[in-house]
Amino acid sequence: MVRSLSLSILFHLSIFAVTFFTLPFVMKEPIDVPPIISVDLIQISEKTALPFAPKAREILEKIKKEEKQRVVTKQAPPKIVKKEKQDAVPMPDQIKKKKPKETDKQNPVEVKDEIRQSSEFEKKELFDPNKIAALIDKSKEETAKIQQKKSLEITQDQDSTVSLDKGLTITQEDAIKAQIFKCWNIPLGLPYNEDLTVRIRLKLKKDGSILSSEILDHVRMNRPGQGFYKVLAESALRAVRLCDPLKMPATGHNKWKDLQLNFDAKEMLKG
Amino acid sequence: MKKIFLILFISFFTTKSFSLVKIDITRGNLEPLPTAVSNFYIDNPEKLSAKIKKLNLEKNLPNVIKGNLNRSGLFYVLDNKSYIQKPKLSHLKPRFEDWRLIKAQIMVSGKLKIDDKGRLRVEFRLWDVVSGKEIEELALFATPSSWRRIAHIISDKIYQRLTGEEGYFDTRIIYVGESGPKTQRVKKLAIMDQDGANNKFLTLGNELVLTPRFSPNGRMVTYMSYFKNLPRVYLLNIETGIQEVVGDFPGMTFAPRFSPDGKKVIMSFARDGNSDIYTMDIKSRRVEQITSNPAIDTSPSFSPDGRFIVFNSDRSGLQQIYVMRSDGRGVKRISRGKGLYGTPVWSPRGDLIAFTKIHKGKFYIGVMRTNGTGERLLTQNFYQEAPSWSPNGRVLIFYRETAGGKKGQGASANLWAIDITGYNEVKIKTPTDASDPSWSGLLSK
Amino acid sequence: MSLTNMRNFVIVVVLGFLVSACATGGKRSANDWYEGTDTVKFLASGVPDRIFFATNKSSLHTAAKGTLNKQAAYIKKSGLSVVVEGHADERGTREYNLALGERRANAVRDYLMSQGVSGSKVTVISYGKERPVNPESSRLAWSQNRRSVTVKAK
Repeated sequence: MVRSLSLSILFHLSIFAVTFFTLPFVMKEPIDVPPIISVDLIQISEKTALPFAPKAREILEKIKKEEKQRVVTKQAPPKIVKKEKQDAVPMPDQIKKKKPKETDKQNPVEVKDEIRQSSEFEKKELFDPNKIAALIDKSKEETAKIQQKKSLEITQDQDSTVSLDKGLTITQEDAIKAQIFKCWNIPLGLPYNEDLTVRIRLKLKKDGSILSSEILDHVRMNRPGQGFYKVLAESALRAVRLCDPLKMPATGHNKWKDLQLNFDAKEMLKG
Repeated sequence: MKKIFLILFISFFTTKSFSLVKIDITRGNLEPLPTAVSNFYIDNPEKLSAKIKKLNLEKNLPNVIKGNLNRSGLFYVLDNKSYIQKPKLSHLKPRFEDWRLIKAQIMVSGKLKIDDKGRLRVEFRLWDVVSGKEIEELALFATPSSWRRIAHIISDKIYQRLTGEEGYFDTRIIYVGESGPKTQRVKKLAIMDQDGANNKFLTLGNELVLTPRFSPNGRMVTYMSYFKNLPRVYLLNIETGIQEVVGDFPGMTFAPRFSPDGKKVIMSFARDGNSDIYTMDIKSRRVEQITSNPAIDTSPSFSPDGRFIVFNSDRSGLQQIYVMRSDGRGVKRISRGKGLYGTPVWSPRGDLIAFTKIHKGKFYIGVMRTNGTGERLLTQNFYQEAPSWSPNGRVLIFYRETAGGKKGQGASANLWAIDITGYNEVKIKTPTDASDPSWSGLLSK
Repeated sequence: MSLTNMRNFVIVVVLGFLVSACATGGKRSANDWYEGTDTVKFLASGVPDRIFFATNKSSLHTAAKGTLNKQAAYIKKSGLSVVVEGHADERGTREYNLALGERRANAVRDYLMSQGVSGSKVTVISYGKERPVNPESSRLAWSQNRRSVTVKAK
């Protein structure tokens, strides 16, 4: 009795096993999990968050120290003129100087408003290229040192920002891009294989609001046969106006007061 | 003094170049453009007859525009209820802040008037709310009964001004209206405006009619009919209603289309189990054989310049897509993927070929470049086929059938449209079940 | 182990395999063409009016030829004229199906003629997928719709 019972149970179990493995609906298909897309929220920071190699950091610190010293010797006593208007270029010495109060976050390439000096000179209109040329011979020693400083300046720039002539860090640039992306309604009818880049020059106030905006190629807009260009240009202008005021970093207005936005819809239209 | 020069000199050499920051903007959003379409205002309401007053054009004309813009998927028309400014002021002196408040970026205003000759004059203005200026202004004249066409033409103008592309609203669609049980389906030729209005049946349904197509000028239709139980290709003049058989073929002719110049009909002719592609000149009746192959060659479609023909053939053993010159030479296969391909149709822009694909029991509508590369499947379904292009080459209309139960219940056929980007898949409303849609060109051309 | 237990075990196992076989949704017939009799009508006593095809094919299998032999004999004997209709299932594009139906109808006509039927007695017409005999959307219905039907000419 016990034997036949156990045999019966065994056979029943084997039947279950057989049906379990052969009936397809019991074997669930693996669910297709869509790939996880990670979303990064970009914070506007004043320093590009590029990690420095440890050795590079050492070199940097060394350079900064040297800069500090040189600044002290070469510089004429700076007249602290707080001027809103920025035009010609700030003195590199002043740029390199690090204020002891400032924290690490400070971008060493950033301009300090208080240490502007060039404006004074421009007023006097002493800037004469010929005279400068004459100066070259006289101050060879100085040039050598200046060149050295310049090369150092270059390396320092490369470490902390990606390219020489960008006044913004990557993250700052990304932040501006992200804002414009949201405001720009792309006209979908545009051909993607034509050269349709609209360049808009913006002048921004300190609070990020737009002082002026102009299309660099606005003559093209009204030419016959440039209908697509006109449509793109108008959409870019609307984007810029909708995004007004732009969220810009709290300082460094000089760095970003003059923006040129190159609108190119090619990537998105290729679909 | 020297020091001053020195400092200047230093600044000259070591300062950065002019601090203009250049940023590339390569992405934006593909959201529909928020648009407000104000009711139009009537300039001289006293002059309107009772009949015209009943048409309520001040509301209905802009409503047609709204429908068009919304259906395109590229515009999002804001609800009237939120509008602050009245129609007349919106047209004469818009207060852009009012429109910015409801987040409109574009505004459409208009004015209606009946002139001394009894014509309807419609003036519309297109406003860029964000930049605060007018960007388009036009006046159109027509008989009051053609007010819908005016609305469609205005929609096309707005569409073109803001997307850069030609619109497709002033067009019609011809299709087959279906009814009855699946085993004994009644089919009638039907024509309607692209937004579903003005639906008319052109045949009575006494015989099967299939695959109607517009001529380039939209005045003629070619289709296949089983009149007198002889399946043949016919021509129908929409205005006169006169139908005539195309040619005198001793066998079934089917799958007809017009050449881009409207002078010829291209079709398949089946005899002794073999289907080849033929053309016939409508005026001279001259017949030309284009393919000569024991396989099935069908569904021919001309390129817009008339130099090439894309068609469907099973000469490789399975249905595939081929391109050849219009004289039949240079046949090249262009479909590359796995599965069966059918119903190829050349885009009016010349850049793409739309098709139906069948693979593993599923039906797809897709597009590919004219050399077969860049195949993109736009939508998948239990059953769908026969895409037809809008005249601007952006939208495809096709039809779908649903599965039928034991007695065929639940089976239905409907027209659908989709943008070539794959967005904006919409069902087109028809009074009966529908299949075999074909899009006309712009009527105003 | 007693004999009854053995027998019961075998029965259960066999049933189990049967159940699993059916669950995979296998075709009833090994072939893609319809082999049943549900929709078949008769030209005359003992002469089925139709034959069936595999998907996308117009070739004649043995059973089809058998039916057509009977049809040929009947046509020759009666002197009737017939129309051979070619049909396709709904799982293909409309225009191609019209051509496929024509190909099928002609395959039948060619065969009938090879059996001595005069060509003048047989005309063909294709209905593509327009006239299914079974409106259901199922493999069975589709196989019943992939057919060629011989009818008496009017």
